[in-house]
Amino acid sequence: MAYRTSLDGQQRILDHLAESVFELSDEEILAEVRESGVDPQEEADRTSFVLRQAVDTWESENERLSNLGHTINPNGWRCVEGIYENHCLSCGSLVSFSTATQRMEGNALDGSCPENGYTTKKREASR
Amino acid sequence: MAHLLSFIDTRPQFEIANPSASSDPPAPSGPPAPPLLPQSIKAAPKTALVVANKSLVRLLRRCFEEEGYTIRIASNAEEGRRLYSDFAPFNVVIIEYDVLVRNGAQIDIFLPQTSGRELASDILKIDPLQGIVFAASAYRNRDDLLLPQELLHIPVMIDITIFQLRTLLSTLEVRRAMAALTIADKLRLKRAAESWFQVRGLTAHEGTADELLSEAQLKTLIGAKETQQGRHWNRDVDLVWHLSEAMRSISDSWRRQSETEEKHLRLELPTRDAEGHEQSPLKYLPSPEASAYRILIAKEKVARIFRMFTDDTEATQVLQGWYDDLKPNEIRQKCGLDENRFAAAVKRIRKKTMSRRNGSGGGEEHGI
Repeated sequence: MAYRTSLDGQQRILDHLAESVFELSDEEILAEVRESGVDPQEEADRTSFVLRQAVDTWESENERLSNLGHTINPNGWRCVEGIYENHCLSCGSLVSFSTATQRMEGNALDGSCPENGYTTKKREASR
Repeated sequence: MAHLLSFIDTRPQFEIANPSASSDPPAPSGPPAPPLLPQSIKAAPKTALVVANKSLVRLLRRCFEEEGYTIRIASNAEEGRRLYSDFAPFNVVIIEYDVLVRNGAQIDIFLPQTSGRELASDILKIDPLQGIVFAASAYRNRDDLLLPQELLHIPVMIDITIFQLRTLLSTLEVRRAMAALTIADKLRLKRAAESWFQVRGLTAHEGTADELLSEAQLKTLIGAKETQQGRHWNRDVDLVWHLSEAMRSISDSWRRQSETEEKHLRLELPTRDAEGHEQSPLKYLPSPEASAYRILIAKEKVARIFRMFTDDTEATQVLQGWYDDLKPNEIRQKCGLDENRFAAAVKRIRKKTMSRRNGSGGGEEHGI
């Protein structure tokens, strides 16, 4: 049997407390929010904004990468010390994404994909 | 009837719209051998409408097959409208930007092509939340499409690859699930973010509850289902619950990171004590076991929570059960609590320890 300290017991209590929000019915959570003096609709809108902003960021960063002619495998992200890394399937350049900065970085973002000639020419023609 | 059966069949199916046929949707042409369905789509079949030329359809079909979609195909905008009105909603509608208005229609290459965007506008009038993607391989960038304001949110695939489509599909799935969230769901998410932030003892230095939620959402989008390193969202799982579990793990990681930074800071402190005696910074290095100091703090914190409920026997029993790692039914059995009394005790604990208002003190010992 694993040795358990009070730290485990404390953590279990705290985890149960955090999860207890899921034991509230819809009416109860609405009432709890109202009791705390907050407008439920405003709070819900704020949550929507946070969620939507994350999706918009992800979509625009992927579009930025794609506009440079790079192609990555969406299932190819690897987490390296908190930073997600991937590589362009055509030229092998590194693409990294940090949830803290919410930006894609790496060699791939420095320029057009040299292996994707057609795309690169299309882009250059548009300049 | 045939088309109805084909629609409820969970296997991927393919239908090529026949413009010369009547307005009744034609029966599916021989379905291909069903691919193995990914685990994530067992609950509900995913559907797509592709309005594009044959070569583009050929390219997209593989991706849709792999992702377990049932697709319907139209070769022109008119057929696209018909299939949409017959079978909507779809998980996604892919529209080739320059798709023909109708079969046999001539294109004036000197005029801007508008059939794709007109179809998108019509679809959004029926369902403003319908996920749509434009395929525009003949264009150099999305600005060339001259999209009107109401269509600017629609993603555009210029370089059409299976990988790009896969990214867009998973993003649209998340958007779709977000659109289905109720006010209570959103409030629950917000409260879950605040709760995880609070119970981990995080401060503004580590971030905010909103940032915790945002990071959970981003990790869901990154996915990485094969590596198990992202937070791949299995669509059988409620998005709210999934995001809460992601926040549990992220908040824990923030706490650990904060503790590590604290230790590093200690190592950078002067190596002499107040009396000028040399001290080894190694004494601050983390030990393999939890430090005695942290255990002491934990004990005090737990004791404080128990003290809040000295007059509430049932709440104390629930807390003790949690502390002892008992399951809810074990706690109920041990303490003779029925489901309602158990739930009521949990709510009292939550109200007293987690409520925003209670954290302000006011003489009585509240909050954690």
